This record gives sequence, C-alpha cells and structure tokens, in this order.
Amino acid sequence: MTINFPAIVKRGAAAARRDALQTRCRRFSSRSFLGFLCLGAALSAMPALAEEIAEPLVSGLSLRGFGTLGMARSSTDQAEYIRDLTQPGGLNRSWSAKVDTVAGVQANYQIRDDLEAVVQAVSRYRYDGSFRPELTWAFLKFDPNPQLSLRLGRVGTEFYMLADSRMVGYSYLPIRPPVDYFGSLPISYVDGGDVVAAAPFASGLLRGKLYGGLMREQTPISYESFDLGGSLVAGGHVDYQQGAWLWRVGYAQLRFKGELPAPVSDLRSGLAASGIPQAQAVADALSVDGKLARFYSAGISYDQGPLQVQLMASRTKYDTAAYQDSRSAYVIAGYRLGDLTPFVGRSYSHSTAKPLSAGPLMAALQPEIDSLSAATGTDQFTSFVGVRWDFRRDMALKAQVDFVRGSADSRYLVRWRQADYDGRMNVFSLALDFIF
Amino acid sequence: MARRLLPLLLCLGALLLPARECLAELVVIANAKSGVERLGREEVVNIFLGRFRQLPSGMTALPADLPAGSAEKEAFYRLLVNKDLADINAYWARLVFSGRTSPPRQMRGEADLLRFVSETPGAVGYLERAHLDSRVRVVFEFSAER
Repeated sequence: MTINFPAIVKRGAAAARRDALQTRCRRFSSRSFLGFLCLGAALSAMPALAEEIAEPLVSGLSLRGFGTLGMARSSTDQAEYIRDLTQPGGLNRSWSAKVDTVAGVQANYQIRDDLEAVVQAVSRYRYDGSFRPELTWAFLKFDPNPQLSLRLGRVGTEFYMLADSRMVGYSYLPIRPPVDYFGSLPISYVDGGDVVAAAPFASGLLRGKLYGGLMREQTPISYESFDLGGSLVAGGHVDYQQGAWLWRVGYAQLRFKGELPAPVSDLRSGLAASGIPQAQAVADALSVDGKLARFYSAGISYDQGPLQVQLMASRTKYDTAAYQDSRSAYVIAGYRLGDLTPFVGRSYSHSTAKPLSAGPLMAALQPEIDSLSAATGTDQFTSFVGVRWDFRRDMALKAQVDFVRGSADSRYLVRWRQADYDGRMNVFSLALDFIF
Repeated sequence: MARRLLPLLLCLGALLLPARECLAELVVIANAKSGVERLGREEVVNIFLGRFRQLPSGMTALPADLPAGSAEKEAFYRLLVNKDLADINAYWARLVFSGRTSPPRQMRGEADLLRFVSETPGAVGYLERAHLDSRVRVVFEFSAER
C-alpha cells in the first residue's frame, strides 16, 4: 500500500512564492546599497548627535535610536547565510544589505522617580521578507528601591546573556551576534513581564531575573511561516559580577502553541490518514503543540580595560521530534588599540538527530520524514576575525570575515540549501553602527 | 587665578604621560546629607555603570556625568575602569536599548554638576579637586588609593 499525498507536492506554488520573495529581496539589496551610501554620507556630515539633544522637548522624555547599515556576501550560491531564524532568506555571492541592516527608535518617559515608560520600534528584515517595523518593547518599569526592578508589558527576553541587545550593533564588537549560538533563537520579546533583584554579596554583586509571557512573533519555515503567537515563555537567570568578571547561568522554556505549517502539517495529516499505528506515532512525535523547548545556558565574561572576552555555552532540548536537540557555544576576544578593536572568535553548533520510522507500509513517505528530521540538523564550527573602528563618537565601522566549516548535514542555520551544499562557506561583512 | 592654572599646567605638562598620572586629582563627591562618608571603588563602579545604585546609607544613588566631550569625563572612566568613552558608550547602548537602566544624568559642566550634587540628597558626581566647594563631600579619591 502506498499513500499519495496531494498536499506535500505543492512545489509549483511554493516555488513561485519563493521567487517572489527573492525578487523582493534582490530589489531591496540594490536599493539599500544606494541607501547605505547616502545615509553613510549624511551621517558623517552631521555633528555628533548626542550633543544636540541635551534639552528634551518634554521634561522627562528622551528619544534615542540605533541602527546598522550592513553589507555582506558569502562565497557560495548553494545555501543562504542568515543572521537568525527569523529571516526567510540570506546571503549568497552577491552583496546584500538585508541580513544586518537594522533601524530602531526608542522613547523613554520618566513618569515619576520610580516609574518609567519605554517604547521601542525596530525595522529589520523579517519573516515575511519585508522591513515592516515591529513594536519590540512597550512596558512600564517600576523600581521601588535599588534592589528591585519590575517591568510589565512587552519586554525583551534574555534566553542567553546579551540576547536582549542583539539588534544594537553598536553595543558589541562583532558585526552580528555569533549565528551558531544566537541564530536559532526565534524570539526577541514577550507580552508579559519580568522582575530583577540585585544585592551586594561577598565582594561582588549578585543578581537574579525572572521573566515570562506570551510570544507574538513568527518564524519562516520553508515556504510558510510558523506563528509562535500565544506560545508561553518562562525563564530566569542568576549572575554574579565581581570586578572584571561576570558569571551567569540561565534557564528558559517555551511551550509551543499551534502546529508547524506545511510541509510538516501535510506530512502529519498524510501519516495520520493512513490509520497505521506506527505512522500515527510518527505523526504524534512530529507534533509541537503543547510541547516544551528547554534552553540551558551558562556564560562568563571578562572585561578589563582594553581586553574583552566572552565565553558562552548552551544546550537546547525539545520534547518533540520536529526539532533536533542541540548544543552550541562561542568564545570571542577583543583588544582595544586606540580607536581600533580587533577581535577574533569561534562558535560551534551541533545537534543530535531523532530518527523516526513510519514502518514498511509507509516507505513512500519515509524520505519526507527523514528530510524533515534532518531540516533542523546542525553540525558546524565558525571562526571569525574582524575589527571595530570607533572613528567618531556614537559611530563604529566594522569589517569581519566568517569561516563556516560544517558537515553537509548542517542545514538548520542556512536557508534555501541546494543538494550540493557541502556545509562550508566564507562570509564577508561590513557594517556601520550608530546610536543617537 | 594661579591656583586654578596650576593643575591645568600640571595636566598639560603631563599630557605626554599616561592619563592616569595626569588626573590623579579627580575626586568623587556626594551630597553632604547622603549619610555617606566614604565609598569603595567597586561601589563607585556599581553606581556609575548602573549595576547597583544604592548608597551604603540605603539612599538611592543618583549619578551625574560631566558633558560628553569633557576631558574630565574621559579621565574619570579611564581611572575608574580603564575604559575609553567609546567602550562606555557601547556599554550604555546595550543597557539603554534593552530598556534596563539609564546612564548617569548628564550635566552641562562642573558648575552645573556641583549645583546638582549639592541640591540633591542621593547625588554622586566627580570633578577636579581644585573645583570643589564646601557644599559637597568627597567620598572617593583616586589618588588616595595608590
């Protein structure tokens, strides 16, 4: 018995959608290259921005912004390099501005000494291929005393250390947070809240944070997007800072709401329709609704004068066979020499497959099952080297080269992988970061 | 006049030396009613980098910075954490845009800072010792540490 399954074979429509997406991206890249040049010229002609905003229009209100103009390309057309899983496409051998270019604005309004309202909107290349701005933060912050801070509303999540400032290129050394480590996080914010407590302990400072809320974001999967809206997120971390050292351990979990879109949904309904128990078991194993993803992480940072070193490691476990469990880590070191800070780093991401078999009767579907469980596989190292140049106040220029060295099975962190992609590519990037 | 010029001349003369030597005269000041006699270096770091803004007396600390272009500000962070202002700006970009903490409030100059610290109970600032006056209290001296 073989089962035919109409829904999976939607290649025609899907390919058309993909082409449309890519055309949009190409159009964007040529336009944005001009934009890059113009904005770059405009910015360097401006006096330092911070000086201009000494007197706010409304007392207690401050408006600030950040942005990155990035240009990058890779050494292959066999797979597209992405910054993170929220991007539907990425880099190939032509220069493109889409993966790293970001613009954000933020308003802070001090209502009382202990009460502040913060709103932030960010425009970046997102799951639907557009740059439509998103409301990333919108919260009230209440600090009853120096030990305690509470935020309620739309707040950033810190699944990993520094994860809530991933968009602010000016705040870190490399052009983008290491993709092997941060790239698989599809979440920036939740509608919920968090609480931070701090207290001096021994000769350092002990801090803890708890957060929780509902996701509102989407992530592209193949030709569709997976709406993670309503998924419940909860997490926390403890860190200890003493002198130049910062140590942190963290845990976060995400309970999926809803099922993965096509082609997973089609495959699952095909399997379930067969009425074969073993096939049904595979369909159930590929379900994500109500299942947990758990993120364990630890990080150390050493920051002393001109020297900065960060080391982080994480482990992610999924209660569903739709995602492979993974480990990742990175280390980065930079040393400031005047206005220049050269940096070097290495990152790593490795996953464990969860083989599924629907049995001999469903042999026709086995390739689909295998390709699905391989889709979240990753097995790669990336070495990177670059330099940050703080050429004027509130602006930095960066150049970086990434050497991605993976196995041919390493496909989760790239998009539109062709059959002959061997898991290796080099990525060349330039960026202008600014804040105002 | 001569008293004002002397440190300036010393500093100019010391330009060839590392900044540390030149600005040994920077002091950290607090409001006289803060209930604080002395701060440790780590406490000053915690207050100015927004990690923990509580004075030993229990009062909330309100740090104040000199203007972005001032040599004293540059020297202060150099002495305190051996960091360039570009590093300090990058640090604040992370905290401000993650919506966590605000940087020290920025004053227009030393006179403005003195006024703010003398009028605000939890205020903490820094300036050259030569510009001190009796309205504020010195709570940390870089020179005394060495």
